[in-house]
Amino acid sequence: MATKGMNLCNVCCLLLYFTTAVLAGRDFYKILGVTKSASIRDIKKAYRKLALQLHPDRNQDDPEAPDKFADLGAAYEVLSDEEKRKQYDAYGEDGLKEGHGGSHNDIFSSFFGDFGFMFGGNRQQQDRNIPRGNDIVLDLEVTLEEVYSGNFVEVVRVKPVAKEAPGKRKCNCRQEMRTTQLGPGRFQMTQEVVCDECPNIKLVNEERTLEVEIEQGVRDEMEYPFIGEGEPHIDGEPGDLRFRIKVLKHAVFERRGDDLYTNVTISLVEALVGFEMDITHLDGHKVRIVRDKITKSGARLWKKGEGLPNIDNINIRGSLIISFDVEFPQTQLDESQKDGIRSLLKQSSVQKIYNGLQGY
Amino acid sequence: MNTLNTVVRVLTRWALVLFLWSGCDGGGGSELNLVTCGSLVKLLNTRHNVRLHSHDVKYGSGSGQQSVTGVESADDANSYWRVRGQTGGPCQRGAAVKCGQAIRITHMTTGRNLHTHHFTSPLSNNQEVSAFGEAGEGDDLDVWAVQCDGEHWVRDAAVRFMHVGTRVYLSVTGEQYGHPIRGQREVHAMPSANQHNWWRAMEGVFIQPSAAPLRHDEL
Repeated sequence: MATKGMNLCNVCCLLLYFTTAVLAGRDFYKILGVTKSASIRDIKKAYRKLALQLHPDRNQDDPEAPDKFADLGAAYEVLSDEEKRKQYDAYGEDGLKEGHGGSHNDIFSSFFGDFGFMFGGNRQQQDRNIPRGNDIVLDLEVTLEEVYSGNFVEVVRVKPVAKEAPGKRKCNCRQEMRTTQLGPGRFQMTQEVVCDECPNIKLVNEERTLEVEIEQGVRDEMEYPFIGEGEPHIDGEPGDLRFRIKVLKHAVFERRGDDLYTNVTISLVEALVGFEMDITHLDGHKVRIVRDKITKSGARLWKKGEGLPNIDNINIRGSLIISFDVEFPQTQLDESQKDGIRSLLKQSSVQKIYNGLQGY
Repeated sequence: MNTLNTVVRVLTRWALVLFLWSGCDGGGGSELNLVTCGSLVKLLNTRHNVRLHSHDVKYGSGSGQQSVTGVESADDANSYWRVRGQTGGPCQRGAAVKCGQAIRITHMTTGRNLHTHHFTSPLSNNQEVSAFGEAGEGDDLDVWAVQCDGEHWVRDAAVRFMHVGTRVYLSVTGEQYGHPIRGQREVHAMPSANQHNWWRAMEGVFIQPSAAPLRHDEL
């Protein structure tokens, strides 16, 4: 009876807590879909996924899309900052200090680049005549641990940005044929370089921070583009910055697709009588192996679900395939040991001769 | 009811503080103004105001390998170089490069390493500097030591690059090429440390160190 009363009291308190939380402002944790104890990495991951889904350009039929997107930006801005998050947790949205009206565009572009809102290949469909700056491709080395658990890499981009300068400059220079009249009926054609006049531009270096996500299950050579973060073009648009993933070799695990392969050497005794062991996985958790039967050299053990997460659905995992090889004792046996082994093992002489390389 | 609310709030606040304190998934350190392993940089020669550059143009003399020059423009992707460790050497992504550390400098677009050897440079008769290797792998003559004051290579600080194999400094003295790379300066290596061998890391993509991925160690 006492427990029932306590439960009711708890529920009432929780309800009141949440109502006050709701009345006190937006629930940022709910907007991002994370728990209150989410790590900064979980928050970044949630923001990045939702930002792509909720961007107004992607949801042009939804009249509430701009509001939802603005809520998302506000939620990330608060929860990604240690100070602001502490205040929010204590006092709710109202308790936050003034002046947090930072531009959502800044946050969005630190994950996707300056022109990241051009979805669906709009960029390619644009007028081909607009000149574009060079693209930059950076090889990003990632460890297998990062492929398993995911990670974020912060990067500072220092790039030249076109700024207005006093005066004019020559632009769109081209060769033109000019016809001049030398006399009655006599003409001369010459080639001339003709330029337009444009406002003068100088290039000034600016810094900004970008966030690259190493998604769980990412494959080698996959690219993460940041639109507009490449090299500028004085007469046109900047190129893109692309991070190309390079997965490093690992001392213990070998990757094949979503499966992981590893080798274990056991002693001859363990192979014959059985053994128990743990394999420490990429995120520290232990995979238990228990054998009580004889383990042949070359035997393989399949552990389903212990491979890498699939990049399209991280709930699906590959398998861990463990191959055993046997280490024979180093010291030679004396006669009594040999007799002992003959009588223990009771295996008669085999001596089968065959061509092992052709499947006989 | 009100007191219970405040108690719950206070508890959550302290739980959060403790959680953040415990360093679970603690954020990586900030190396905001340092040059780190894996970063892309453009290197500016401070005396002649040109950026280290390479392209698919070979020397017509000397080794005949891919040429390395200095260019005036600031918006050419062919002026990007990647900072990497020695072959098999430690240079963890995002780790700040120490003064004196041996590194390789790999040209972004062609994948060849900054390299020098006992060949004469075409314009000034100093030691020829070329871009050598395939897909980032060359040989021992790709290794340079970053010489700077202080502990780490700071962006915007003037540093020297000394070649570990032949003990010469990456330099520019102002000689200019003609056609087909008109206006580009010769980049070479010389034995003396002087005003011509100061370089500064300018534009680039500077990788910050990451937090280690979350671990779930069982007790």
